[in-house]
Amino acid sequence: MPIVDVTDLRKEYGEFAAVEGSTFSIERGEVFGVVGPNGAGKTTTLKMIAGLIEPTDGTAVVAGHEPGERAMQRRLGFLPEASPLYEEMTARSYLAFFADLYGVPSDVASDRIERTLDRLDLEHRDRRLGNVSKGMKRKVAIARALVNDPDVLIFDEPASGLDPLTTNYILEFTRELSDEGKTIVFSAHNLFHVESICDRLVIMNEGQIVARGTLEAIRETHGTTEYRVDATADASGALDSDAVEVVRENGTVTHVVESMDDVEAVRERVDAAGGQITDIRTTTPTLEEIFLEIATGSEAEAATP
Amino acid sequence: MSDDSADRGPTRSVQPPRLVSAASHLAGSATRVGRIARWELTKSAGTIDRKTILLVLAVVAVAGVVGLSVADEGLGLEDEIYVVGVDEDDPYHDVASESEQFRPIALSMVDDDGGDVNADVILTRDGEIYVAGEHGEAAYDAFRDAIDDYNEQRMADEADEAAAYPVLVTVNYQERTLADVADGAATPDGGAADASSDDGAGAETPGQDADSDDGIDTGGDGVTGEQDAVASDGDSSEPLQVPDVGDGAVTEQTTPTSPGALEPPFPFEALVLAFLFIVPMNFVIQAYGSTIMDERIKRRGELLLVSPASSPEIVAGKTLPYLLGLAAVTVVIARAIGGGGQSIAAAVPIALAFLAATFVGAMFARSFKELTFVTVTISVVLTTYTFVPAIFTDVTPIALISPLTLIVMDLQNESAQIGEFLFSTGPFYLGAAVCFLVGIGVYREEDMFSQKPIPAKIVDAITSQIDTISSRVHAYASPFVLSMLAIPFVFAAQLLAVALLFVVPEAIALPVMFVLAAAIEEFAKSVHVYAGYARSRFDASLRVAAVLGVFSGAGFFLAEKFTHAVQLVGLPDLTVGAAAFGPALSSEPLVFLAIFFAPLVLHVVTAVVGSLGASRGRHAYAVAFVIATLVHALYNLGVIALVA
Repeated sequence: MPIVDVTDLRKEYGEFAAVEGSTFSIERGEVFGVVGPNGAGKTTTLKMIAGLIEPTDGTAVVAGHEPGERAMQRRLGFLPEASPLYEEMTARSYLAFFADLYGVPSDVASDRIERTLDRLDLEHRDRRLGNVSKGMKRKVAIARALVNDPDVLIFDEPASGLDPLTTNYILEFTRELSDEGKTIVFSAHNLFHVESICDRLVIMNEGQIVARGTLEAIRETHGTTEYRVDATADASGALDSDAVEVVRENGTVTHVVESMDDVEAVRERVDAAGGQITDIRTTTPTLEEIFLEIATGSEAEAATP
Repeated sequence: MSDDSADRGPTRSVQPPRLVSAASHLAGSATRVGRIARWELTKSAGTIDRKTILLVLAVVAVAGVVGLSVADEGLGLEDEIYVVGVDEDDPYHDVASESEQFRPIALSMVDDDGGDVNADVILTRDGEIYVAGEHGEAAYDAFRDAIDDYNEQRMADEADEAAAYPVLVTVNYQERTLADVADGAATPDGGAADASSDDGAGAETPGQDADSDDGIDTGGDGVTGEQDAVASDGDSSEPLQVPDVGDGAVTEQTTPTSPGALEPPFPFEALVLAFLFIVPMNFVIQAYGSTIMDERIKRRGELLLVSPASSPEIVAGKTLPYLLGLAAVTVVIARAIGGGGQSIAAAVPIALAFLAATFVGAMFARSFKELTFVTVTISVVLTTYTFVPAIFTDVTPIALISPLTLIVMDLQNESAQIGEFLFSTGPFYLGAAVCFLVGIGVYREEDMFSQKPIPAKIVDAITSQIDTISSRVHAYASPFVLSMLAIPFVFAAQLLAVALLFVVPEAIALPVMFVLAAAIEEFAKSVHVYAGYARSRFDASLRVAAVLGVFSGAGFFLAEKFTHAVQLVGLPDLTVGAAAFGPALSSEPLVFLAIFFAPLVLHVVTAVVGSLGASRGRHAYAVAFVIATLVHALYNLGVIALVA
């Protein structure tokens, strides 16, 4: 049974549809990516799951509870893209307040707060939050999302605007949380981050889900695997000129083709020309390349459960 | 079990009894409100450093010392600023010595050194008065005033009143009545017009001379006519009479005075003391507005919204410290100035209204700059609304539109009747409740962080209420309920209009009041229907628009019946009061039924007009609103003319 079950989720603002019928489910312990360009509807989708925005239509069930139910909110940790803190408070008092609000007993909360701050390597715990670095503020925000020991975490751009060191720290921490059994819904503009930690993902564009599944599955569906055949002779004449790209460099001719049939055709032509095949390699597209391909005009995939 | 784990798991095998569940829910809610309130307190305290606290304490201490000193002795800036040359055996010597402005010196001490005289006023032995030096003229004027004061004081000390005041003036303050406007005759039910003349007699207390026709009283019974100053008898058995507002203070005054010293019966001292209750409210709303705005600016409040605390709990938690703080200050002020429970009970709804208005204003403001404008507006409007009517505590029932009047009464040792208390505080409680309700309606992610224009936010706030009512009852129920909820504001707006037009000549005040009262009601009945159409909540068909209008008019009619509380204090006896709230209820059954139910037809018809306009867009709504207002105003005029 999925721990997050989103069905035909829709949000309209007047005539404008921010999200149009999103449907997906997330299994317990997964890191699930939601990616897309600005205005694609990612944040609106995440906020509907968190119960912050009321859907125009559809449902988002978390751990068996509808959004807005108190029981659901207790089992959810939400880290918004911008999470300004109460800067007149210290990290400890800030986290203690939220633990109190979630009804965590003070002794449990105290222990949990210290452990989380230790894991996040957070110093200056009694310094006012207005006087700490941006990275530390983000860590405190993450600690706040964990203060109620939630089953599901929604991280919206958790590493936005942070230096590479802190970013890497947060990504590793996210992976650790997943290993501990937490379910994480992860959104980021940096597709490398998504690619590096997400088990499955959806790609959104203009309010619709245009791709879904594991990265491999998305590559199969939307990406193109290329075969690079290095040879000592030009074999491009054997193929349709649109199907092959030829790169000449240091006496080596590299034929870039998109199917094994074309590879065979190149091989035969090279042999016929008295040349030699020196190397054959395959290259898979990155998520970024797939994303760009989709975002720049591929037609939207009809969303299917 | 902690409430952290209380709700874990999607299902429960055993459902607790509904009552237990409700009690548990309430307890959980109270706990969360308490947590947020405590946090709000510590968070706010955290923003003030020690230096600021010390500075504030020092300023308060200095202000207190200086204030008490001034209150006790005055600033003393004019003490002995003039020198008077007068011998001790001269009758004027006492004048100079008893006035703080003058320092008397003996004539032998006056030194005229070639025009440079060491006295400003010189009284010679032969009764001549001379002035000298550049301050001489001013000193002479001041000395004349001092002579007048001295003589007044001597007359006041005179044991034989008749000897001191050979002529006494009796002053009767009379209310203008509905009958005065009609034709000078009594109203059909004979209440209002006769009340004044009866009052004069009714105001008598044993030993008083009630003959107000004389105008001259020999004072033989030792009581002055000023005891007749307020023409009211407080006879509650006649429902249409002007109530016994402030009667006690004036009639209790028995000190004789000269005609020149007669002043209108304004309870100046009590009024100033009552104003002390309002002062801290004006400061507290600044901090309160900022904390609400803080949640909205930079989305700081988003994390509270995603927590188990609901929007009403968050708002209650954030408001509670400020309300309790104001309540505590109110108690302290009441104890300091001799106010009792009535003062405290009257000040609390004012504080609540200040906070509620600030809350809704802070929810609509788009920046701290706009918030400043909002809080200043609230300060000015609410301070005016509460303070100005209270000035007339001893004069007219209009004063009771302000709870501050109850405080003034309390400070004058007058008790308010329960009807007066409810009339005075009810609109404040209801208005505050509706303000909080509207604000909480937009205390959600989609609205509180957006930067829409204020009118659009108001429309959104109303729409959120429509959504709530529609989801719980039916879409058609929303105009019915929202028209009812608008009543406190209609009531307050009309009361304010009555207060403002009270002093305007009736030839101007009446037509303005007819139109204004109608416009206020038509706006209240139609604005939520317009909001619903503006946000596509209603179908634009004629049938739906008509149904919405019928429900809006019916809801308004029902709630409007509550405004008959004005009867409790006799407001319809006043001409502008009748123009706003309709005439007093008649004892004739048919007239009574007509007056009672004719508004139902009116409200339904005009609400349908407004609703039809709203369904056709903004411009059509504006036109429909004007038509509805005119129809309503003509109806008011007709009813008043017929009944009167």
